[in-house]
Amino acid sequence: MNAVEIRNLSKNFGAKQAVCGLEMTVPMGAIYGFIGENGSGKSTTEKMICGLIPTSGGTIKLYGKDYKDEAVRAKVGVLIEAPGCFPGLSVWENMMLQATNLGIEEAEKEVVRVLKRVRMEGAAGNKFKNCSLGMKQRVGIAMALLGDPTLLVLDEPLNGLDADGMRIMREVLRDIVKDGTRSVVVSSHLLGELQKVATHYGIIRHGKMIREMTAEELDTSCRTYVAMQNADMSRSKMLLGCKFSRVEEDEAGYLRVYDETTPEEIVTYLYENGICVTEIKTDKIGLEEYYIDLMKEGK
Amino acid sequence: MEARRELQFESPSFSKRLKGMLGVDFYRLFHTPMFYIFLAIAAIIPAMVSAMTMLPDQNGNTMEPLYSNVWQIIAASEPLYVINSIADYANMNMVFIFGGIMVSIFIGHDYKSGYVKQLFTTHAKKQDYMMSKSIVCAFAMACMCLTYLIGGTVGGILAGYSLEVNVSSLVFAILGKMVMSLGWASLYTFLNIIFRRYFGVSIASSFFFGTGILIIGIAAIVENLTFPTFFLNIFLYGSSVNACLVSNIGTLLICIVVSGVWTVIYNVLGTRILVKSDVY
Repeated sequence: MNAVEIRNLSKNFGAKQAVCGLEMTVPMGAIYGFIGENGSGKSTTEKMICGLIPTSGGTIKLYGKDYKDEAVRAKVGVLIEAPGCFPGLSVWENMMLQATNLGIEEAEKEVVRVLKRVRMEGAAGNKFKNCSLGMKQRVGIAMALLGDPTLLVLDEPLNGLDADGMRIMREVLRDIVKDGTRSVVVSSHLLGELQKVATHYGIIRHGKMIREMTAEELDTSCRTYVAMQNADMSRSKMLLGCKFSRVEEDEAGYLRVYDETTPEEIVTYLYENGICVTEIKTDKIGLEEYYIDLMKEGK
Repeated sequence: MEARRELQFESPSFSKRLKGMLGVDFYRLFHTPMFYIFLAIAAIIPAMVSAMTMLPDQNGNTMEPLYSNVWQIIAASEPLYVINSIADYANMNMVFIFGGIMVSIFIGHDYKSGYVKQLFTTHAKKQDYMMSKSIVCAFAMACMCLTYLIGGTVGGILAGYSLEVNVSSLVFAILGKMVMSLGWASLYTFLNIIFRRYFGVSIASSFFFGTGILIIGIAAIVENLTFPTFFLNIFLYGSSVNACLVSNIGTLLICIVVSGVWTVIYNVLGTRILVKSDVY
């Protein structure tokens, strides 16, 4: 049984088709990184999973049950865009209201537990409107964790989080899925952060799932490259460009050769042309570059 | 990886869902200043209307009294669907106008804060939301009826109006209007669901329907055609007007039935709209 199973999902807003024929599978115990450009249909899909917008076609199953089933809905924790809190009430009051809505027994104990989990116990008395963006985001995550949810759907949860907030977030996500039954669907544009925790990926474009893979499959799919530095980078780039089909300069000032080659071959080739290499290494492209490459392929 | 735990999904019962939602809505009602401000408005308005009649005009003459009796500030002497003077109109029915604005603000905050979005991602059902809002807002309006009663009575006594009344008719009239709060609250909840994305339109529509201007217009036409006007009691405003100082148990029963039927209608329609539309 999968945590989320979406088949042939579609959603139209008038004449505009936001999602069309989307297929998505989130296994139990997965942290599913849901990636796509702005307007690709990520948030729309997440909102449909959460029951916020009705579908135009297709099926969504959560743990084998229809996504509208109230029993399964009771075990879904959500943070979509921003937490739904009353600005004039305190963090504690907002948390207690959500706990009351969820019908949680021993609500106070549960609220203390989740606030501690996101290190917000000290700010419980603050009015929500006085919280910083990062604090609000933490409250949203705490709210999503209320009632020990089986499925967590988080839309851009890393927005506004500082380094400590991101670390907490990673800990929380890993902690949630460690028993192998609970799952997380998380979308973010911070692909570097996402890559640190995701076990599965889904890449959406123009409302269609263009690739689904595990973290291991991503690792295999990511091309290796040779990166090097020397005193004459512009001449090196010209020379390497004559021999190899894809040579690019990265943000750190390294020349990258993506063709199948070895550092020895490059060092020898440049040495024969009078250039001495000062630093050379082999590496793999990350999720971000993989994603950019995939988007370029599509275009 | 830890040993897999057994997954258990339990359907929360209707009573548990509604209890949770009512708990939240009542907490919000009592912990925000808005409710108390509207209670105060409901008390001050009738007191002011009564006091106005005591003030001298620019020539030093006092105005012609609007009422002859304290209790006419609470309910009209007879069912007056067509209004000929401000006194025919200015009674406890005005609570339903303020109440409409209060409901618009209450529900508007649900959407503005994102609470509705948070709510509907859980097991909460759209019908629970309609019911909870209707019940809580009806309670708030019933409380406003009571503060109106206090304000109107004090104002009327200070203005020196007569206290003579048929007590049972007065009690039935007040109870009738309080019962009508549920129907009115459902109407306003329904209107605010329709115009949920346009806060200004929500308030304007609540105000428009709260004034009862549609029924007053229909009543004027019907009276001109010399048709009987009692059929207007099937409407919320009609029944609210019908609860007057000649009320009896029958009047109260009509209020209960009319309020109940419209509550069901508006709740069903509101639920259907919520189910079919996106939550923002």
